[in-house]
Amino acid sequence: MSCLVMGQAPRVNRDSVVIKDFESRVTDYVKLSKKAASGPAAPKPTDDPAKLKEYQLALAAKIRAGRPQAKQGDIFTPDVTKMFQRLIAMSFSGPRGEKLRASLRHAEPVKTLNLQVNDSYPQGVPLQSTPPSLLLDLPKLPSELEYRIVGRDLVLRDVKANLIVDFISNVIPAS
Amino acid sequence: MRTHAIFFRIVGYLLLGAISASTQEPTPDQPATPRTAPAVSTAQQSSLPASASQLDLRIPLHPKSVRFAVIGDSGTGGSAQYEIAKEMEAYRELVGFDFVIMLGDNIYGGDSPKNFVRKFELPYKPLLDAGVKFYASLGNHDNPNERLYKLFNMGGERYYTFKKNDVTFFALDSNYMDPQQLSWLEQRLRDSNAAWKIGYFHHPLFNGGKHHGPDVDLRSLIAPLFEKYGVNVVFSGHEHIYERLKPVHGIYYFILGNSGQLMTHDLRKSDAVQVGFDTDRSFMIVEIAGDKLYFQTISRSGQTIDSDVLQRGK
Repeated sequence: MSCLVMGQAPRVNRDSVVIKDFESRVTDYVKLSKKAASGPAAPKPTDDPAKLKEYQLALAAKIRAGRPQAKQGDIFTPDVTKMFQRLIAMSFSGPRGEKLRASLRHAEPVKTLNLQVNDSYPQGVPLQSTPPSLLLDLPKLPSELEYRIVGRDLVLRDVKANLIVDFISNVIPAS
Repeated sequence: MRTHAIFFRIVGYLLLGAISASTQEPTPDQPATPRTAPAVSTAQQSSLPASASQLDLRIPLHPKSVRFAVIGDSGTGGSAQYEIAKEMEAYRELVGFDFVIMLGDNIYGGDSPKNFVRKFELPYKPLLDAGVKFYASLGNHDNPNERLYKLFNMGGERYYTFKKNDVTFFALDSNYMDPQQLSWLEQRLRDSNAAWKIGYFHHPLFNGGKHHGPDVDLRSLIAPLFEKYGVNVVFSGHEHIYERLKPVHGIYYFILGNSGQLMTHDLRKSDAVQVGFDTDRSFMIVEIAGDKLYFQTISRSGQTIDSDVLQRGK
């Protein structure tokens, strides 16, 4: 028993370092996003949908300008990716695994898209619901960002700007 | 001012001739035929709404009751959505409901401004002009930024509550039930002392439809909260049919995902389904008075496909 605990300790420490690194990258992104949001007039409820669209596009353009070299892996670094792969695999093989698979099958799955960091999530393509049990197992995100599933990829999406911030390919098990 | 702005947007849109005569509907129109529905009116087959005197009203219209309508998966912009909207207006004149809850997929096909006109402002213009408020929840086809669209009355939030007399409504975002929303929901349910607690959101927890089925993962997390804190009724959409399920642990579950969309013959035979309808579009009108909830589900052609009275706490 003690061997098991001793054997797990380094993994826990390593995970906490990786999680901190992920959170720090997320925080940096949110800072950039908030700075960008200080440019276009802040979105308030409006009865003119054109204003909502204009704001979303202007915000996305400012964020892109703030990270022009952004690429896959900037936030989901190789270490972070490995940790997410492990967390997701554990979720799907755990006691809620079957419910997760059923939830994915029934959610009107979005087929694979040609994902690119800094692209907008495509107009007219539904946003597949993310299983809540999976969200319980993944690191918490600030309200500006969310995890979305596209095919077997996990996407980090900017909610207000409708922007693909980063993604991990082929991390969701086939259901 | 707001009404003027909407009016001019609609007029401009009409002048551009952008309204397509095509319906963009996934399935052909078919005559309404409810399954196991009680007391179906077969008199009205016209797609035009009947006059008030011809309407088959099944709710009692108690004074000071809470009256509202329910629509789900409505925002196609197709002719069937417009016909349902006309039926709704005919019933509003009789019933006097002053708000509508929306079960998601409010605007299909993206968030371009013209979509808001064609798929919401134009079909429901008579209702909007009459001062009817719409309280939306988000579906998987909705851009979450719809929360900032004033006519959806979401107050800028993905999930929110509002109260009408002794009824509290919990509008949830079932697309993204993160731990923050779960905590919020539990706190709001715990704090609510409303006589009636009504939940609504897009993805159904129980569902006899073949196309999507129930979201069992979502169910495992929020149904226990509903049961613990005394939610009475839950409305969902997503499956493009109408279903009234037999009560589950004392909670009445409805699915209404066919106010614009339709998945014909999607309903599987199930003992869990009290009444189902999968051959045409529909909407609901609901009246809550004291311990009773009266409802009526009406098809595009004006048939009553379901109606009943539910007793709180039974």
